[in-house]
Amino acid sequence: MAVAAEVGRRLKHRLKGLCAVGLLLAAVPARATTYFLTVAGLGGEPDYETRFTLLANDTDKILRGSGGADRVIETLKGADATRAKLTASLTKIASEAKAQDVFVLMMIGHGTFDGTEYKFNMPGPDISGTELAAALNKIPASRQLVVDMTSASGGVATALKHEGRTVITATKSGAEKNATLFGRFWVEALRDPAADTDKNEIVSALEAFRYAQTKTAAFFTEQKRLATEHAQLAPEDQQRAAAFPLVRYGNAAVTVTDPAKRALVAKKEEIENKIDALKYQKDLMAPEDYKKQIAVFLLELARTQEAIEK
Amino acid sequence: MRVGRAAVAWVAVELAAGALLFAQTPVKRAPQVPPARVAPAVPAAPQSAPSGITIGIAEGLWINRDFDGANNAFKALVAEHPDNADYRVRWGRLFFERFNPAEAAKLYLEALEIDPKNARANLGLADVLADEFNPKALEAADKALELDPKLYQANEIKARMALEDDDQKKAAIEADKALAIEPTALQAIAVHAAMDLLADKDSKWLAQIGNRAKGYETLGHFFVINRRYEEGIEYYRKALAADPALWSARSQMAVNLMRLGRPDEARKDLELSYENHYRDAATVNSLSLMDTYKDYITYSTPTTILKLHKKEAEVLRPYFEAEMKRAMDVYEKKYQFKLKTPIQVEVYPNHEDFAVRTMGLPGLGALGVTFNDVIAMDSPSGRPPGQFHWASTLWHELSHVYILTLTNYRVPRWFTEGVAVHEETATTPDWGDRITPDIIAAIRDKKLLPVADIDRGFVHPKFPAQVIVSYFQAGKICDYIAEHWGEGKLLDMAHQFAKNRATADVIRDELKMEPEAFDIAFLASVEKETAVTVKNFKDWTSGLGELNKLARLPETSPDDLITRGRALEFFYPDYVEAGNPYLVVAKACLAKKDKACALEEYSKYSKQSGRDADSIKKYAELLKESGKTQQAAAALERLNAVNPMDQDLHEKLGALYLAANNAPLAAREFGVVVALKPLDVAGSHYNLAMAYKAQGLEDKAREEALIALEAAPDYRPAQKLLLLLSGEGLKR
Repeated sequence: MAVAAEVGRRLKHRLKGLCAVGLLLAAVPARATTYFLTVAGLGGEPDYETRFTLLANDTDKILRGSGGADRVIETLKGADATRAKLTASLTKIASEAKAQDVFVLMMIGHGTFDGTEYKFNMPGPDISGTELAAALNKIPASRQLVVDMTSASGGVATALKHEGRTVITATKSGAEKNATLFGRFWVEALRDPAADTDKNEIVSALEAFRYAQTKTAAFFTEQKRLATEHAQLAPEDQQRAAAFPLVRYGNAAVTVTDPAKRALVAKKEEIENKIDALKYQKDLMAPEDYKKQIAVFLLELARTQEAIEK
Repeated sequence: MRVGRAAVAWVAVELAAGALLFAQTPVKRAPQVPPARVAPAVPAAPQSAPSGITIGIAEGLWINRDFDGANNAFKALVAEHPDNADYRVRWGRLFFERFNPAEAAKLYLEALEIDPKNARANLGLADVLADEFNPKALEAADKALELDPKLYQANEIKARMALEDDDQKKAAIEADKALAIEPTALQAIAVHAAMDLLADKDSKWLAQIGNRAKGYETLGHFFVINRRYEEGIEYYRKALAADPALWSARSQMAVNLMRLGRPDEARKDLELSYENHYRDAATVNSLSLMDTYKDYITYSTPTTILKLHKKEAEVLRPYFEAEMKRAMDVYEKKYQFKLKTPIQVEVYPNHEDFAVRTMGLPGLGALGVTFNDVIAMDSPSGRPPGQFHWASTLWHELSHVYILTLTNYRVPRWFTEGVAVHEETATTPDWGDRITPDIIAAIRDKKLLPVADIDRGFVHPKFPAQVIVSYFQAGKICDYIAEHWGEGKLLDMAHQFAKNRATADVIRDELKMEPEAFDIAFLASVEKETAVTVKNFKDWTSGLGELNKLARLPETSPDDLITRGRALEFFYPDYVEAGNPYLVVAKACLAKKDKACALEEYSKYSKQSGRDADSIKKYAELLKESGKTQQAAAALERLNAVNPMDQDLHEKLGALYLAANNAPLAAREFGVVVALKPLDVAGSHYNLAMAYKAQGLEDKAREEALIALEAAPDYRPAQKLLLLLSGEGLKR
């Protein structure tokens, strides 16, 4: 949303229907490190090589420009994106990361699925889903996100399933074998403020997923083509994905941690809770009553925020 | 009717023996085999299969309306007598009557492989092809006559096709030939009657039709294809009076009632036909279409009725209503009359639903169609983005309503289509379709038709691009007349056509020249106008390929691309489709950071009706950067006439209008973004709130700000706006 983006800064708040999200975001320990590993696999032909490298470069640039000191970012692409180097990077992260840390793996490229095993196509030998899972399981970070944007990526979801790990795939199964568009829109989500639908100046994994999923579906609808990919994020992982910050804008967290404003912040959270509670009641209320009540709360919230910023 | 830009979408099935058939529109309800009333015309050899099945049994089952049984009997007969061509011909006829022309044609061709001299197989093939307005029907009919000169039904087919082409002389000759062989030949009599009646004369031939329903059905057909739907319906009613069980006539009557916006009447007869097992594609699909009418929202004014699908109604309504009003204002002045009844426009997001409205009419690949004062057209969402200029289609179809009304539906196809094409660009020159390579090739190959014969290019095209070439030619003829005699001359000609006068006579009286002389002058003008393109067409074709190849190489110098591209633009300035030189040059200009150069290219592209959304957005961005906000908005506004479903376009355009202090249009654009149900609910409602605030509509602005905050309670800009609107924030 171009205009809104230009108008002003946004502050943090919780997602509708996901009350725990704000708490989870706040619960990420201040000293936790987020490890981002992006890998662009084998294109197979010049057009795809260029495309995958561009997506990897864009991702790298966005991550470096929107995080902070608590981020470790590594990108493998072109000739460097081999199984050996990917494994080495994962091993290194496994040795450095701690339980409170966060790990994000983003895979761009082609994948295959033979009915049993998924493979991520790389220069030289491919890496299988089983091998990837084994390497990931060694990483102690308790919160992990894997975004596999390749064709047939749905075939890896089961292999990667693990406590604390959220898995997003570009396809619903290993049978969707066409080159995917999801990756293009995922990267777009990381840089498009419109993806930040709750306007908290953070693009979460859930927001990025919904953005890319919607744009991919719209592409096929507009082009009057049969959709050859259906991105997946397991319903039980959605709340966790909502609490998974990928890209941050502004300094939203500052106000939350400012001791001088503690009372106002508490009041603000109280109003937010009332708004959430009222939203849950919406379908049971007369529309006019709902409108009146929510208007009161929203105005009060705006006043409180104004006071916090004074 | 308005056809697509690139080419006429001939959906063709190439059969083994080379015959070309148009594929059927998919049938949505399961069709069943309806009754056949005609006894076999060919006495078959009394062969019997080991199973005991004979041709007599098969024909008997058919007569008794056991179509599945007849089909199975023919299947067994053909299996047991694979060398019997006649069985296949009869089986083919069964398929043709049971709404499966493709299978019928296949059987006729198989029969011809067995017996190349089988006249009835050729006749059957002619029937199938003629039913699809395929000119190859003539070849098959001629072949049938060559093999059996007494096969008068082939003359009847030829007569019918000639009259469909408005070639009355030939139609009369062929009808007379049929009558010489068989004095009671009904279709020949009906062709004669149709010629009289279409010319508003009494006809002695009507008495000879007598109580034969099929004759009236044929009259109905000719009135319908001459866009005289009400009279067509009346002849279908006469057919039904003669034979209430003539379900094909009942179905066609109902289809035309539906076309004229009378669905309640139509449904009754369609359902009656369906229940009586007449379930051809038109019947079944029309019923299916009417089932979806509940999903449409109707917006009425004293002069217009707009029907939009509920899923896109809020998005399309502002643009359609505005364009209808603008066009009708222009046409009322130009044609000097006001319509007495509202114009109805139906917009279909599913192209197949729209296609149901055009089934059985000549010319495929239509984008819009007019039935008296009812227009049916594709929605902009019905086609891939950028391929369909819905606004020029709307102007095109609205022009038909005025010309058809003005001429009391007595106007040759070429004239109403020509005026409609002329109108696409007469008011807004950067709309409309440009000369396609197909048309250039037709001019080069001298394939344009004489003005007196041009109708056959629409009805029975002899090459795939001929329909589109005919539209172009008809439009150019009207441009030429407007240029040399003035716009008023088109109105004078329309008044002449209202008197049911022939094209040649109208040309003579209004333009004061013989049609042949007009053709010479017109062709000279077209050839002069396109001389550079035609002369350099081969070089342009190879040059364009080379240009695009070079553009992909990083080492190519931008200056080289600019020089080559501009030379190609000179050769063929109308070409704005894929790989066009304007955009290659514009990108080369940007590569050397020469914005003025890029602006010049984008401007040329835009004026030539270029429609690539990303390129026009880039053009608008450059204009905005140059401080030309209003021109930037105008550039983007053009895209609304192509793809109003583009959320990004509305966001950009809304912002430009807001910056240019045009709050009402900013509100329209941001309102459409909201209607598109974007992911960014908060941002879209906030923008709308800002536009309302700029309009001074503070209550509405507050409401939108609250909706934005409901979606994102901590959205700071929306909070500030809410406080401001509540008298608590800082004034800006």
